[in-house]
Amino acid sequence: MRYLMTTAANGSAPDEKLFAEMGKFIEELTASGVLLATGGLDPDSILVSSSGEEITVTDGPFAEAKEAVAGFALVEVRSREEAVELARPFRRIVGDGESRLQQVFTS
Amino acid sequence: MVSALDARRTIDAVWKLESAKIVAALARMVRDIGVAEELAQDTLVAALEQWPRTGVPDNPGAWLTTIAKRRAVDHIRRSQLLTRKQELLALELDRQPESEPGTEPDDMLRLMLISCHPVLPTEARAALTLRLLGGLTAEEIARAFLVTGRTVTQRIADAKRTLAEQQVSFDLPGEEELGRRLASVLEVIYLIFNEGYSATSGDDLMRPDLCHEALRLGRLLAVLAPREAEVHGLVALMEIHASRAAARTGPAGEPVQLHAQNRGRWDQLLIRRGFTAMLQARRLGGPAGPYVLQAAIAVCHAQAPSAEATDWKQIAALYGALVQVLPTPVVRLNRAVAVGRADGPQAGLDLTEPLTAEPALRDYHLLPSVRGDLLVGLGRIEEARSEFQRAAALTKNAAERAFLLRRAATLAAPAPAGPTLGSLSRSFLSDAGLDAATVRSYGQTLGRLGRTLGEALPAAELTADQVAEMFAATWAGAAARTWNRHRSAVRSFGAWAELPGLAEQLERRPEPRTRSSPLDPSRVDTLCTGPGPTVRDRTLWRLLHESGAGVKAVLALDVEDLDLDDRCSRTGITWGPATALLLPQLLAGRTRGPLFLTERRPGPARLPTADLCPDTGRARLSYERAEYLFKQASGGLTLRQLKPRSAPPAPAPSRPPFTARSL
Repeated sequence: MRYLMTTAANGSAPDEKLFAEMGKFIEELTASGVLLATGGLDPDSILVSSSGEEITVTDGPFAEAKEAVAGFALVEVRSREEAVELARPFRRIVGDGESRLQQVFTS
Repeated sequence: MVSALDARRTIDAVWKLESAKIVAALARMVRDIGVAEELAQDTLVAALEQWPRTGVPDNPGAWLTTIAKRRAVDHIRRSQLLTRKQELLALELDRQPESEPGTEPDDMLRLMLISCHPVLPTEARAALTLRLLGGLTAEEIARAFLVTGRTVTQRIADAKRTLAEQQVSFDLPGEEELGRRLASVLEVIYLIFNEGYSATSGDDLMRPDLCHEALRLGRLLAVLAPREAEVHGLVALMEIHASRAAARTGPAGEPVQLHAQNRGRWDQLLIRRGFTAMLQARRLGGPAGPYVLQAAIAVCHAQAPSAEATDWKQIAALYGALVQVLPTPVVRLNRAVAVGRADGPQAGLDLTEPLTAEPALRDYHLLPSVRGDLLVGLGRIEEARSEFQRAAALTKNAAERAFLLRRAATLAAPAPAGPTLGSLSRSFLSDAGLDAATVRSYGQTLGRLGRTLGEALPAAELTADQVAEMFAATWAGAAARTWNRHRSAVRSFGAWAELPGLAEQLERRPEPRTRSSPLDPSRVDTLCTGPGPTVRDRTLWRLLHESGAGVKAVLALDVEDLDLDDRCSRTGITWGPATALLLPQLLAGRTRGPLFLTERRPGPARLPTADLCPDTGRARLSYERAEYLFKQASGGLTLRQLKPRSAPPAPAPSRPPFTARSL
């Protein structure tokens, strides 16, 4: 089963140590065949909303950028618990904040 | 605080993620796979004891590594190794698990190479690999391969013993040797993948968990041995095949052939990963090996925007190269499919002709299925129909069988042209006045004849040549008695059906004199109703007599294996009313453990727990003891003589090493 982990921005800029640790962690996850895709997201987002017939496109930045998703990881795991156990070391590396795990439905 | 159940689940998840690294590091320390695995198990037990009480540690992987290493150190101290080893140990302990997981990539590679060592039989390699590198339990492996947990435990134990006995080297092989050793690893990974991708038995077409395990192993290996093109080739092949998982079954679970699949449902992420792996392989250069070539074929399919746009010329050319390096019957069959598309159905059909005499494809449903498709292309509808029926009779997969029967049914029904081989066989078995045992025995022969030549074959067209060919392909290696039994079946059938000379090309084979002759059923009755023997012994004798199964297989039965209502075991043993009457008395409420137990509890010997009754502590009845008791009761007969005269032999279908993939 696949899980998508999204991580909210915590406002602080990542330092070199974090980059190094994260790089190593991602390398390990890739090697073990668990990590399918990952990436960081530009805080500058474009909002596309619809109401009735009308589609509105709004360019960022937005005030509530702190809650915006800053990165994602798509992992293939055997169980929900395994997804949680992968999130644990990740959170240890990035420090305070939160990540969200959602199962990706595949047919 | 976590609940005990949550803790267990967490431990299981952590274990599956971490165990390979732990076992790999332990194996480096103690240089013995068996010991490493036992120490790893001890570590797991420690976690199972502690975590539910103390909660899961913050860094569970590091916790496990630390405990495991401590156990290894204790072990080495106990075994009093040389001082030099002790010094090495000191170094080992100085490593901080938090900052250094303590496992070099080489340790993992070494573990993989040893788990897949060529001295081990293939199933053992697969079981050991899933156990040591996938962290799966014996039960999980057993479920995936549809065998019993005991079988898997036994395979793993045997494998570990073989590795120890053969003193398999722990050193990494040199560059040249590495390629050869990796071939064995790749074979195992692909076997695991295929077992998941095209489940060879059972009701589901896929067991995705196994595919997933194989993909993980392959991806890991690609990092561990990055300079081997074939490794990347295998990864590419698996990624691309896995990308079609969702599209290859229809809403009712029926298979959807590649050309009919909705390409919009192919997983583009996996395809992309496959392409990337393929590029890796190409970049390494060298002559293309079997996996790279198969991956290249998969890439061709993945690149085609529609089935019609498939570059069959290119695929046929790739198959042409593949048969050079991998001339297996299944690859030749796939080549026939590709050539059929590239150069027309006749060219494809011509390539399948020599394959029909191939013993390895005897039970392989895709051969008649492919021929059916090609015959449809040539407008030879009736022949196509009987090919599809044969294919349906051969497949062990329920969904696939239904699909093939539907294909046969959609082709126009043939004009009634007299009785068919199938209908005539059935009349013969029901109307010729044969006794039940003979019906069962002849039924096997005629059933096989029908599956090979097609049940729909008009009986009048059946020739002695066809029968002789089928016998040669099917029973050439069988025991003389088996051969002669099948031969008598054809002779009787031919005489009854007024098809003279049907068996004229079948020579009777001289039978070696056997020491034991089967017992008269009335003698069995007398023995089983006498006052002396216990319920257990009477049940055993009845069961042997009614099932015709081997003594070992019957003694190996566990209570969990039994289906009392259907009078059969999961291991394929079936029995009759006399046994059915006795079994409940023998079980007396037991629900697990060995079916046949000794009278006494064993001493503190080392019996595998699978051979102990968990409730009474009594051990499984041994062959020797059972044989002795029967000898006493019968005045010198052997248990084997309880087997009825025409006991059905279990034909062991051979499984082709590669599965026709691009059909």
